[in-house]
Amino acid sequence: MTSARPEAGAPLAVTGLGAACGLGHGTAALLEGLLAGRDVFGVLARPGRQAPDGSSRFLGVEMPDPPSVLPPRLARTVGLPGLAAAAVVAEAWHEAGLDAVAPERVGLVVGGSNLMGRDQVLAARRYGDRPAYVPPRHAHAVLDTDLCGVLCAAFPVRGFAHTVGAASASGAVAVLEAAAAVRAGRVDACIAVGALQDPSWLDLQALTALGAMGSSRFADAPGRACRPMDADHDGFLYGEASAALVVQRAEEATAAPCGLILGGAEVVDGQRGPEPDTAAQVRAARLALEAAGLTAADIDTVNGHATGTPRGDWAELETYRTLGLRHARINATKSVIGHGLAAAGAIEIAAVLLQMRAGRLHPTRNLDTPLDADFRWVRGEAADHAIRRALKLSFGFGGINTALVLGAPDHA
Amino acid sequence: MRVMDSDDIVEIIVRHIRDVVPELADHPIGRDDAMADLGVDSIERGEIVVATLEDLGLDIPLVQLHGPRNIGELADLLHDKRAA
Repeated sequence: MTSARPEAGAPLAVTGLGAACGLGHGTAALLEGLLAGRDVFGVLARPGRQAPDGSSRFLGVEMPDPPSVLPPRLARTVGLPGLAAAAVVAEAWHEAGLDAVAPERVGLVVGGSNLMGRDQVLAARRYGDRPAYVPPRHAHAVLDTDLCGVLCAAFPVRGFAHTVGAASASGAVAVLEAAAAVRAGRVDACIAVGALQDPSWLDLQALTALGAMGSSRFADAPGRACRPMDADHDGFLYGEASAALVVQRAEEATAAPCGLILGGAEVVDGQRGPEPDTAAQVRAARLALEAAGLTAADIDTVNGHATGTPRGDWAELETYRTLGLRHARINATKSVIGHGLAAAGAIEIAAVLLQMRAGRLHPTRNLDTPLDADFRWVRGEAADHAIRRALKLSFGFGGINTALVLGAPDHA
Repeated sequence: MRVMDSDDIVEIIVRHIRDVVPELADHPIGRDDAMADLGVDSIERGEIVVATLEDLGLDIPLVQLHGPRNIGELADLLHDKRAA
């Protein structure tokens, strides 16, 4: 196994966080809403999220309009994913004090692919019968990499910028790639963004047809429909989200770290579609722990991928069992903010670091009958808990499995 | 109903210029101004022209509209296309 240590070395510091989701804008709103276990689920209402024949009624979470941080001339040409990304990067940039870093030494990795589904459906609806009026800007504005363009136009990032796609693990892979770039010395600070994936009704309908998205069982009770690790789970619910994390070498941090990246790993398992694979999840976690110089016994907190799909939850439970995590506190952030798809890994890593700073863990909503009652789930109310070392799992369609080990800032 | 003349088309173009470039909201803009001189970039010019075509109900390839040197000449050209 010694040949595969993707993140070995000194811990890296996360020095800035930014977050946007249904709980509101900013990390304070995220933490407060998580700890309260606030119910923000409803019927998705944005234009482009309803089937044209009116037959659809998708449950999930939509966010308030992002605060405007872009100049009006740029903002009017940017869709929801770009507006959210700009807001979370502005927050993370400020906290990390990135104005102190030379622009040529700042990099950007945007996690997510096929982000602009809703804008494409809306454009097809608006211009389908009059193609002459398709605005020229559509050509670049619907590219995922337009987020890089928008962010680098708005912020002095002049190192490198690109997107990485890993389905629902995209946000976690963006953090891993940002860490790798900093560790390799390509840049001194790298911003990892979990992009807001903006699905159309077509995407949502397909996810429902696939059996991945709920909820038929709780169609009339949106607040009860998202139930990761609960016996009545019947699929994930989408939640708009975006997050940004600033990664730096600890000795060059331009702000007090909110937490450390002690280790991380990504492995694939050969599944083409959505099927989870416990063996590969375990392999990813063990590689991340090995990179951190730790074992599962050292982990005091687990933040799972935990989407609420029956097959995914059962496979992940088996991963917890195999790793030996019965001593750790476990919660599932998607139960509160929904599944951010491309953004999920990034906003959930941010959520772990915010809970670390607060010394509190948020409850897992709707965890009335845990699939396995012998784990130390956080449910009902928030719990006091000093996170020292947390394991964060994120998985994606296409057999992608990631794990990160996060440490408290004073971890020696 | 009055028939639309070239000055009416200038007004439509100027309205779209101000939408696309909010900095020009209070800047005087007339027939003799060229969009490039106002700081409008080429993609923004395309947006402005397409939005104007849509208002006028014209369906013309953008490449046919690259000749005019200022807003007045563009309005004259669109007026002629409309009359044709």
